[in-house]
Amino acid sequence: MSDYDDSDRIDRWLREDARRTLADDGFSARVLAALPVPRPRPQAWLKPLLVIGSAALGSALAVLLAPGGLSVAQGFIDLATLRGMTPAAVTGIALSVTLLASALVLALEAD
Amino acid sequence: MSSRAASSDAELIVAVLESDDRAAFGELVRRHQSKVRTVLRRLTRGDAALADDLAQETFVLAWRNLRHFRFEARFSTWIYRIAFNAWQSEARKRREVLLDLDDAPSAEAFEEMPDIAARMDLERALATLSDGERAAIGACYYADLSHEEAAQALGMPLGTVKTHVLRAKAKLKALLAPKEE
Repeated sequence: MSDYDDSDRIDRWLREDARRTLADDGFSARVLAALPVPRPRPQAWLKPLLVIGSAALGSALAVLLAPGGLSVAQGFIDLATLRGMTPAAVTGIALSVTLLASALVLALEAD
Repeated sequence: MSSRAASSDAELIVAVLESDDRAAFGELVRRHQSKVRTVLRRLTRGDAALADDLAQETFVLAWRNLRHFRFEARFSTWIYRIAFNAWQSEARKRREVLLDLDDAPSAEAFEEMPDIAARMDLERALATLSDGERAAIGACYYADLSHEEAAQALGMPLGTVKTHVLRAKAKLKALLAPKEE
């Protein structure tokens, strides 16, 4: 307020008038009551649960629908011993990719 | 409650933004309600009910838009900008002419007032100012903003704010002259 000359009478009257404070008289409470109702925030655990659940379901389906009697463990053994792309190895790769995608989604969400 | 009272405006705003803290926002309202309501009373020519409605609208809008607040400005500057916008919006609804330079009362209006001016108090004198002049006086004196902050809050060029203040004070001086003795 140094822009103004305090010696000026109008200045002084304006300043004195401005210094008067208005009692709250319930104003703040009325404002708070008028605020929009808070929307429930989505639960933090919901999204990871959905992502992991989907991944697990996808993996289970992959195992169940893969050609006969495969074990995921056998798939990883096939991959480790370089036996080529056996049906079990394909299932293991699909499972790995699914889990990796889930992990990436969750990591990006965390950022 | 005492910790809230000791918090800066910025700390309270952060609390609102991070956790929808209504108590923190309540503290902001309590801190600024008096000046915001006073400014709006001056802008609405003493209509306390309308001023309080606009003040409530101002704070609700502030709550909704707090995420847009930039911390380089004072919260008071930002909230007065919202208040002035709310008042302008209301004035438009009432088909009032707003912040243009040509919205000052006509010379004839002042010539009709010498008798009234003698018994006019400051509040009534303020009510005779043009919208732009009242807005500038409200920002610079009642909201305690610098000319630069007032220009920012009102969305006016700095020179216009200074012109409005000078013209307003000249008019008030003329209107209130009989009271000076």
